[in-house]
Amino acid sequence: MKNKSTVKSILGYLKKYWLLIILSLILAFSSVVLSLSIPILIGDGIDLIIEEKNVDFEGVGSILIKIIIITLTVGVLQWIMNGINNRITHNVTKDIRNRAFDKIKKLPLSYIDSHPSGEIVNKIISDVDQFADGLLMGFSQFFTGIVTILCTLGIMFYLSWQIALVVVLLTPLSLFVASFISKSTYSLFKKQSEVKGQGTSIINEVIGNLKTVKAFSHEDEELLRYDKVNNELERVSRKAIFFSSLVNPCTRFVNSLVYAGVALAGALLVIKTGAVSTETAEAGALTVGVLSCFLSYATQYAKPFNEISGVVTELQNALACSGRVFDFINEREEASDKGLPRLEIADGSVKLSSVSFSYTSEKELIKDLNLSVRSGMHVAIVGPTGCGKTTLINLLMRFYDVNEGEISIDSQKITEVTRASLRSGYGMVLQDTWLQNGTVRENIALGKPDATLDEIIAAAKSSHAHSFIKRLPNGYDTVISDESSSFSQGEKQLICIARIMLSLPPMLILDEATSSIDTRTEMKIQSSFSTLMKGRTSFIVAHRLSTIKEADIILVMKSGKIIEMGSHEELLSRGGFYKNLYNSQFEAKEEIK
Amino acid sequence: MKKLLVYLKGYKKECILAPLFKMLEACFELFVPLVVASIIDDGIANGDKGYVIKMCLLMVLLGAVGLSCTLFAQYFSAKAACGFSCKLRRSLFSHITSLSYTEIDTLGTSTLINRMTSDTNQVQTGINLTLRLFMRSPVIVFGALIMAIIVDPTLKASGIFFLTISALAVVIFGIMLVTIPLYKKVQSRLDSAVVTTRENLTGVRVIRAFSLEGKESEKFHQKTALLNKAQVFVGRISALMNPLTFVIVNLSICFLIHKGAFLVDSGNLTQGEVIALYNYMSQILIELVKLANLIITITKSLASAKRIEDVFEIKSSQKIMADENAEDCARAVEFKNVFLRYRGASEPSLEDISFSCKSGETIGIIGGTGSGKSSLVNMICRFYDPEKGEVLINGRNVNSYGFEELRQKIGIVPQKAVLFKGSVRDNLLWGDAGATDEEIYSAIEVAQASDIIEAKGEGLDFTVEEGGKNLSGGQRQRLTIARALVGKPEILILDDSSSALDYQTDAKLRQALKNLDYNPTVFIVSQRTASLSHADKIIVLDDGKIVGIGKHEELISSCLVYSEIYNSQFRREDI
Repeated sequence: MKNKSTVKSILGYLKKYWLLIILSLILAFSSVVLSLSIPILIGDGIDLIIEEKNVDFEGVGSILIKIIIITLTVGVLQWIMNGINNRITHNVTKDIRNRAFDKIKKLPLSYIDSHPSGEIVNKIISDVDQFADGLLMGFSQFFTGIVTILCTLGIMFYLSWQIALVVVLLTPLSLFVASFISKSTYSLFKKQSEVKGQGTSIINEVIGNLKTVKAFSHEDEELLRYDKVNNELERVSRKAIFFSSLVNPCTRFVNSLVYAGVALAGALLVIKTGAVSTETAEAGALTVGVLSCFLSYATQYAKPFNEISGVVTELQNALACSGRVFDFINEREEASDKGLPRLEIADGSVKLSSVSFSYTSEKELIKDLNLSVRSGMHVAIVGPTGCGKTTLINLLMRFYDVNEGEISIDSQKITEVTRASLRSGYGMVLQDTWLQNGTVRENIALGKPDATLDEIIAAAKSSHAHSFIKRLPNGYDTVISDESSSFSQGEKQLICIARIMLSLPPMLILDEATSSIDTRTEMKIQSSFSTLMKGRTSFIVAHRLSTIKEADIILVMKSGKIIEMGSHEELLSRGGFYKNLYNSQFEAKEEIK
Repeated sequence: MKKLLVYLKGYKKECILAPLFKMLEACFELFVPLVVASIIDDGIANGDKGYVIKMCLLMVLLGAVGLSCTLFAQYFSAKAACGFSCKLRRSLFSHITSLSYTEIDTLGTSTLINRMTSDTNQVQTGINLTLRLFMRSPVIVFGALIMAIIVDPTLKASGIFFLTISALAVVIFGIMLVTIPLYKKVQSRLDSAVVTTRENLTGVRVIRAFSLEGKESEKFHQKTALLNKAQVFVGRISALMNPLTFVIVNLSICFLIHKGAFLVDSGNLTQGEVIALYNYMSQILIELVKLANLIITITKSLASAKRIEDVFEIKSSQKIMADENAEDCARAVEFKNVFLRYRGASEPSLEDISFSCKSGETIGIIGGTGSGKSSLVNMICRFYDPEKGEVLINGRNVNSYGFEELRQKIGIVPQKAVLFKGSVRDNLLWGDAGATDEEIYSAIEVAQASDIIEAKGEGLDFTVEEGGKNLSGGQRQRLTIARALVGKPEILILDDSSSALDYQTDAKLRQALKNLDYNPTVFIVSQRTASLSHADKIIVLDDGKIVGIGKHEELISSCLVYSEIYNSQFRREDI
C-alpha cells in the first residue's frame, strides 16, 4: 500500500525523462542479446578448428569479423546506456533534493522544532543518495539481469535441452546457499552492531569529556570499562565477519558444481552423438564448440541471479529511503499567503485579543490573553529559565499560529498579510545565536544585502562588535565556518545584534543574553539597545532589573503560562510571583551590604 | 601503517596461513581449464566415457578442496583482523587518555572519537580484505598467464596475454586514478549542500525573520546543480570501464582463435587447449576488477592508518620534573610571575600572574568573559604548563607532583557539569574510590544535593543516563560539586559552578563549605560579585592580567574594573 504510493511518486519524477528511459531499456536489451551471441559464435569458431590439417580458415575468418563487429557495437551501446542511466539517476536525485529542500521553507515551524535537524538533513542528503544508488542503478541491473537470464535460458534450451536442464536445476542451489548464510549471519551482525554501539557510547562519553576524566585521574578505570566491551566486540565481530565471508566461497563452490555438471553432461552427449564438429555432425547433435559455449554460459548464468538477489534488497532499501523522502515532501505545509496584501506599518501598535495557544492539545499554555501595546511601548517578559518566554515570540513572528483569538498590528490581522512583510517589521535577536557560513560582512548584511561597508562598520560599532572584528585575521572578510570555535558565544551575539543595528526595523524582539556576555560588555550593548529601542515598539525577554523596571508592561511567565501582567509597581503591590522573583534578587544584594 | 603492524604481532601464524590457503584455492581454480581441455582432447576425442566422468569428479574435488582452503583462510583472516583492531583500539584509547589538555585542545574531541571508531574500523576491514584477497587476485592473474604459457610455450597465441593484461590494467587502474579525485570533488560538493541544509534548519527563525527563504533556496539549487555536474562528469568516465574491458577481452579472444586456428592446423595446439586459453582470458578479467576494488579499500585503510598513527605520534607534552627548591611552607597555593600561552595563540592568555594564599582561605576570582579566570584555576591543577613562571602547591612546583598525587590534593568542579553513565554512587566515587556511603552522603549534603537523591527514591543507586540526560542542569551541577567533595581535597576549585544555582542555594552552599571540618583552601570563579563578597581575597582579572587583589570592601573603592562589574549587577539606585 505504502510502497505503491511511493512507486507512484517515483514514476512522477521519472516522467520527465521517459524518452531517455525507453532509450536506455532498448539499449540494455540489444546489448544483452548481442553480447550473448558472442559465446555462440566463439563456439562455432572452435568447431571449425578441429585438429591438425583440419581447420576451416575461411569460416574462422568470417566468424571473427562478426565477433569483432558485435563486440564493438556492444561496447558502444553499453557506454551510451551507462551514460544515459547516469544522467537519469543524477538528474532525478537533483530534482528530488531540490524539492525536498524547498519544502523546508513551506513547513510550519512546529515540524522543524519537533524533528532533530540531523534527521531532516539525513532525509535530504543520504536517503536521496541511497534512493539513487539503489533504485535507479538497481532498476537497470534488474532489467539487464532478467533479459540475460531469459535469453541465456532460451539459447541453452535451443542448443541442448539436456545440458540446459542441468544448469537450471543446479543454479538455484547457489541462491539457496547465499540466502541461507546471509539469514543466519543476520543475528550475528545485529549483535555486532549492538556491541559496537556500546563501545562507541563509552568512547563518546570518555573522549568527549576527557578533561573531566583527567581531572579525576580516572583514565585507568575507564580503560578497564572499555576493555570489557572491546574484548566482547572482538569475539562477536570475529564470528560475524567469518560467517558472512562464507557467502562468496560457497556460491563459488556451487558454481563449480554447475560447471562440472555441464562439462560432464556435455562431454557425454558429444561422445554419444559422435559429433566432433559441425561438418560431421548430424542435425541436432552436440559439438565441442557448443560445449565450450555452454561452459561460458554456465559461468555467466549464475551472475545475474546473484546480482538480482542483491538488487532486490537494494530495491527494498531504496523504497524505504524514498518513502521517507516523499513523506517529508508531502508533509502538511503552512497555509500559503500568496495574494495577501503586505503589512503596512504606521506606528507599530500591537494588539493581542483573547489569544489562546498550546503546542500540544494536552497542555494548555496561553489562555485568553489580551494585551494592547501602543506604539513605542516596551514590553518585558520575565520568568525563570525554561518558562516558555519564546512562545510569545513564536506567536508574534507567526512562527506558530494562535489556536484562538487574533494578533493585529496597526489594526491589520497578522494572518491576513504576508508572513514576509510581518517578519521584516521586526528586528529579532535571539539568545540562540545563529551565524551562516560566509564572511562576517555577509552575516551582518543578512537583512540588507546591498549595504555598503561603511554602513556595516557603523552598525558593528554601535553593537560594540567592531573592536573585535577589526582584530580578526581578515577583518570583515573573515570567513565564519560551520562549527567555528574561534568566535565566543558573546562575540557571535554581538554580530547578531549588529545585523539589527543595520536593518533598523520599526519593531523589536530582543532576547537579552546575559549568560554568554559578561556583565560589562552587556552594559555597553544595553546602552545601544536603549538607543535602538527609543520610539520602537519592543518586546524584550528581560533578565536585568533595570530593563524590567523601565518597561511599560511586564509579563510574568511560569511553566509556559502568563501568570501576571502589569507595571513594576502594580506587580510589586500585588505581592505575587513577581514580588518573590524580585525579592530573591534583592536579598542577594542585602547580603553584600 | 608500519607502526600499527605491531598489533598484528600475536597473529603471525594467522597472517601467514590466511594468504597461503587463499593462494592454494586460487591454484586449484587455475587447474580447472586444463581439466576441461583434457576432457575435450582425451575424453571426447577417444570417446572415453570413464575418463570424462573421472575428470568431472576431479573438477568437483578441486572445487571442494578450494572451498575448504578458503574456509581456513577466512577464519584466520577474521581472527587476525579482529584481534588486531581490538588491540589497536585498546592501545589508542589508553594513548588518547594519556594526552594532556593542550593536545586535547589542538586535536579536538570529535577528531579523536573518529579515530577511535571509524578509522579503526576501516583499518580492520583493510587488513581482513588484504589477508583474504591480496594473494588471490595476483595469483590468479599471473597464474593464468603462466598456465597460458605452459599450454602454448611458443607464445604465438599466449603472447596476447601480456598485451591483454597490461591493456586491462591500464584501463582499470587508469579510470580508477582519474576518478578518485573526481569523487572527492563530488563528496565535497555534497558536503557543501549538507551545510546549507543544516543551516536552514538550525537558523530557520533568523532566515524567516529576514525573509531569506527564496535566496537560500536559490543557493541550494546552485549547489545541487554543481553537484550534478560533477556527478555526471565522473559518471561518464567510470561508465567507460565495462565497455572497454569487454571490448579488450573479446578482441583478445578473437586473436586467440585466429592464432589458435593456425597452431591447431600446424599441429602445435589442440582444440581443447584453445578452449583452455579462452577460459583463462575470462578468469583474468574478473580478477582484475576485484583487484581494483580491493585497492580502493586498501587506499582508504592506509589513509585511516596514517591518521591513527598521527595520533599515536602526539605525545603528552607534560612531564614530571624534580623540584630542587621545594620548601615546606604555609602557602597552600602560590603563583610566581606566571605566563600562559595556549598552543597556536598569538597572545598570552595569562600575563605575569603572582599571588599566594594560605591554607584554608577562600579565594574569589572574577573578571569578564575571556579574561582568563578558568585558565588561572586550570593551572593549579596543572592542566596546562606555564610558558614562564612557576605554580607552587605547598611550596613545591606542581610539575614535580605525580598526576595522581596532584589530583588527589585538588577537587575541581569544572564549568561544564559532566556526569557519566552509571549510578550516582559510581559517579561520586570518582572523587575517592574508597569512600563509604556515609562519606558520600555527607558530601551530597554539603553540595546541597540531598533533595535530588531523596526525590529519586533509589538513593545512591539512581542510574544517571549518558551525559546525565535525566537530570536538570542545576542537579548535575550540584552532583559534580559533591563529587569533588567526596575526596576531601586540600584544595577545592569551583569554576563558575554555581551559575545554575539560585541565590539562596548558592548562599547555603557557601555556608556549608565554610563549615567543612577538613578546612580546604577554596577557589571560587564567578561572574557574580554576590558569590564572592565573603572571600578572604578576591582576584580581579582583566584581559589576562591581575588588576586588583583584595577584599570586597577594598576593591569596590580601589579597583575600577571590580566596581564596574559590581555596578553592572547592582545599580546604585536599586540598593
